[in-house]
Amino acid sequence: MSNKEKKWFSLNLKNEKKSGGCGCGKTTGSCDSNTKELKRKDGVDQVFDLKMDRRSAFKKLTASLLIGAGAVSTSCSVFSDEKSKEKAQIDWEEQFKGNYKLMTDEEKSATVDRLVRSYQLRTGKTINMSSKNAEKDVLFGYAFNISKCQGYMDCVNACVEENNQDRKSQMQYIRIHEMKDGKGFNFNDADDNYYHEVPAEGHFYMGTQCFHCDNPPCVEVCPVQATWREEDGLVVVDYDWCVGCRYCMAACPYDGRRFNWSKPEIPENEINKNQHYLGNRLRKKGVMEKCTFCVQRSRNGKNPACVEACPTGSRIFGNLLDPNSTIRWVLENKKVFRLKEDLGTEPKFWYFMD
Amino acid sequence: MRRFKVFKNLVGDSIDIITHGSKKYHLWMAFLTFVMLVGMYCYSIQLDEGLSVTGMTDRVSWGLYISNFTFLVGVAAAAVMLVMPTYVLKDIDFKQAVLIGEGIAVAALIMCLAFVVADMGGPSVLWHLIPGIGVFNFPNSMLTWDVLVLNGYLFLNITIPFYILFKHYQGKKAKTSIYLPGALISVFWAVAIHLVTAFLYQGLQARPFWNNALLGPRFLASAFAAGPALIIIVLAVIRTYTKFKIEDKTLKKLAMVVTVAAQINLIMLISELFKEFYAPTHHSESAYYLFFGLEGKTALLPWIWTSIGLNVLATIMLTFHKLRNNFRILFFCCFILFVAIWIEKGFGLIVPGFIPGPYGKIAEYTPTGIEIGVTLGIWAMGAFVFSILARTAIKIETGELRYKKK
Amino acid sequence: MRNIIENLPLKAVFLGLVVLSGFYSCQHGEEGYHGVTDRIKAESKNYHGTSISSEKYIGHLKTLEITENGITFLIPERKGEIKSYSCTECHTKPLKKMQSEDIKKAHWNIKLNHADDNTMSCVTCHNGNDIDNLNSITGNSIDFDKSYQLCRQCHQKEFKDWTGGAHGKQISSWAPPRASKTCVNCHNPHSPHFESKWPERYNTQKVKERK
Repeated sequence: MSNKEKKWFSLNLKNEKKSGGCGCGKTTGSCDSNTKELKRKDGVDQVFDLKMDRRSAFKKLTASLLIGAGAVSTSCSVFSDEKSKEKAQIDWEEQFKGNYKLMTDEEKSATVDRLVRSYQLRTGKTINMSSKNAEKDVLFGYAFNISKCQGYMDCVNACVEENNQDRKSQMQYIRIHEMKDGKGFNFNDADDNYYHEVPAEGHFYMGTQCFHCDNPPCVEVCPVQATWREEDGLVVVDYDWCVGCRYCMAACPYDGRRFNWSKPEIPENEINKNQHYLGNRLRKKGVMEKCTFCVQRSRNGKNPACVEACPTGSRIFGNLLDPNSTIRWVLENKKVFRLKEDLGTEPKFWYFMD
Repeated sequence: MRRFKVFKNLVGDSIDIITHGSKKYHLWMAFLTFVMLVGMYCYSIQLDEGLSVTGMTDRVSWGLYISNFTFLVGVAAAAVMLVMPTYVLKDIDFKQAVLIGEGIAVAALIMCLAFVVADMGGPSVLWHLIPGIGVFNFPNSMLTWDVLVLNGYLFLNITIPFYILFKHYQGKKAKTSIYLPGALISVFWAVAIHLVTAFLYQGLQARPFWNNALLGPRFLASAFAAGPALIIIVLAVIRTYTKFKIEDKTLKKLAMVVTVAAQINLIMLISELFKEFYAPTHHSESAYYLFFGLEGKTALLPWIWTSIGLNVLATIMLTFHKLRNNFRILFFCCFILFVAIWIEKGFGLIVPGFIPGPYGKIAEYTPTGIEIGVTLGIWAMGAFVFSILARTAIKIETGELRYKKK
Repeated sequence: MRNIIENLPLKAVFLGLVVLSGFYSCQHGEEGYHGVTDRIKAESKNYHGTSISSEKYIGHLKTLEITENGITFLIPERKGEIKSYSCTECHTKPLKKMQSEDIKKAHWNIKLNHADDNTMSCVTCHNGNDIDNLNSITGNSIDFDKSYQLCRQCHQKEFKDWTGGAHGKQISSWAPPRASKTCVNCHNPHSPHFESKWPERYNTQKVKERK
């Protein structure tokens, strides 16, 4: 009787309960052989707990658990080849490593080595990844000359190529806003996706990107501290630690952050192989990314790609702590301002005019 | 040892009653299961391809999932509207309905957690949140506060009714000294969960539509209108289909709560509209987009005006004693109020917060089929959970289900 | 009675947490600076220079060091870059005489499109008697490597900005020693105007998003 009635509803319950109950449907008496399994469960809650586990959590946990299980089985198996064992081992370690900010230097170089090796195993190509820390006595600052920008968008292209951004969704960290003269900095009426000869008569151009605030709202709100401000002022993201909640994106007043809604696709021949763990290394789907002032370049003394690419020299980058730097000269001799100053975010990106 | 034996029997018995019932009950559960399976399928597609299958973009990065999450936290908080009078004010009229209310709270909270997980870009790495093995950015991040209060509230709402039911299942009385402190805490905790959820949005200086002082109180007012409205409808259904006795007095008192909360909600709405439209500033753009459309983008107009219309209609009708005490009208008003507040808290709050973007660009948001599928699946799951809980609780409370010693 | 006692500590704890969080979330930044400029002032007091240098990026260039407006920096040499330097290899006779003879014509097609007739002609910058050097308005000889000294005669504002770093481009690196491009590295002195062109990209995804 009971078996038949159990058939046409709540199928999943039946599967679970078969191991737990006697299957006879009796409400009295006990089956001692199964008490051990039922001990952990606490009554009715167990029912929906299970539901929660199986329905909602199952799919999510499967990915990591399968990788783990696969790793374990392949590591132990005699028959799988060395490469896939190594790959599984790397994937396992990468899945369970900690937050980059809290890693020691050894751990940082270990994870970089794993990522480089993993890429090599998967594609046969070698990349060059760095885990260089912030230099002492360096605080990066940026200045943008509104009079000089002609709207060429060389910076946008250079940035996309340098930082291995997703081509399918045409991700770009930099936006160039074309504004009409005489209306002030009217972003609402600005066009950031123009396609005509530039510079257009009666218009001027302003570029925006992540401003690497000194008091970043995005860092405040991240629930797992996957984004933080480094010693040299760069606001960075640990792509492997980000859980993809997008709270930081809601908190940024400057449209500085980008999310990988799908797996990023970059043509093989366009991948920039000089990478930094916190910068332009290849990301996965479901994580946040942003301009890093080209950490892979700037920590080695090079200018970011946008600064390098600009033909008019409207982008100025340097060390704010160096009294002889060009950025300090600009801040001290030009009339500079920042966007949305009243929000108290203290961006390190200034604008000025000739 | 004896307790485990009782546990086991309770489990066995509850499985028994859950899996047996009238044809209507089976049809209901089958329908819910089907919708859940559809939701699971849609979610598997989302897991596979990433969140690009939803309608969310870099401009509007929170959509249907977070809208529902926000709304359901309010519904969960509203269960306290039954707890408080029963235990604090010792109003026995409410006593019957308390367990049902807490059952709704549990179901709503599970739905909230499910919506949050569904919205995550990386659900397999959610362990990063766990303090100890991950990094928990408390107290800076309001999200962490939310995680704490929601899970705490879930714990409260599971353990307290469970304790009471467990005692009643054995035919004993539940000791007030054990459950009363928890019940009292849950009153404050309910206010806390919804305030903290409101603070998630209220604290973002980048989004002027949310960054105002009234958001938290507004959340509470709308929660205490929508939650009890749902409870009234659920109690009416239970009254009709089970032997569980719920007196008219209870429903009438709940209706009073809904009315007052709805009136306060309307007053707050008027206050917001005044602030946005009396001397509009650059910060009022989101409100303009929501109520009147901006630059020809009017996607939200039908939603918000329906919501306001239904809200006003329901509030006015409920204000009159004659209408409110007529149960048919009461149920209708509760239903439209629930829908109105769902729209208002969802599309009327989350989406316009992102439009226009930080540089004034407008990109509208439309949920895709997959998003809707997952949403419906999670709602079905909530209804499923609640049905199971309510059925067990009712059977125990009506004395049908009792622990029988061997 | 017991209930109230049991509840009190919890309420107090809750309130305490709220108050504490207020202190924690004070938006002062970890070090307590009230803004970036404060931080810059404070932290550059102990500035000892960094180990990062621009050497590897500019080391291969031929540069010379100049000091203008009190600022010292490197600029690329020019003489080595001009293909037909030195001028006296061809300009052995005065210009008038060269124009009449059958010598192969070189840079005869340079169009001067810089300011107007009243301001600029060939002799504004070039000295027919000392063709290997440039000459200033006052007749002083100016080395080809330091051609910027000519430009500054009219463009004082741009010159001031250039010495500071707000005009023109730094070469490759932000780190000291600083190397900047000179005027003629970007501007053609005979026709300095930049033509308009089309932008480098157009984002079709943005268009879709905003429909």
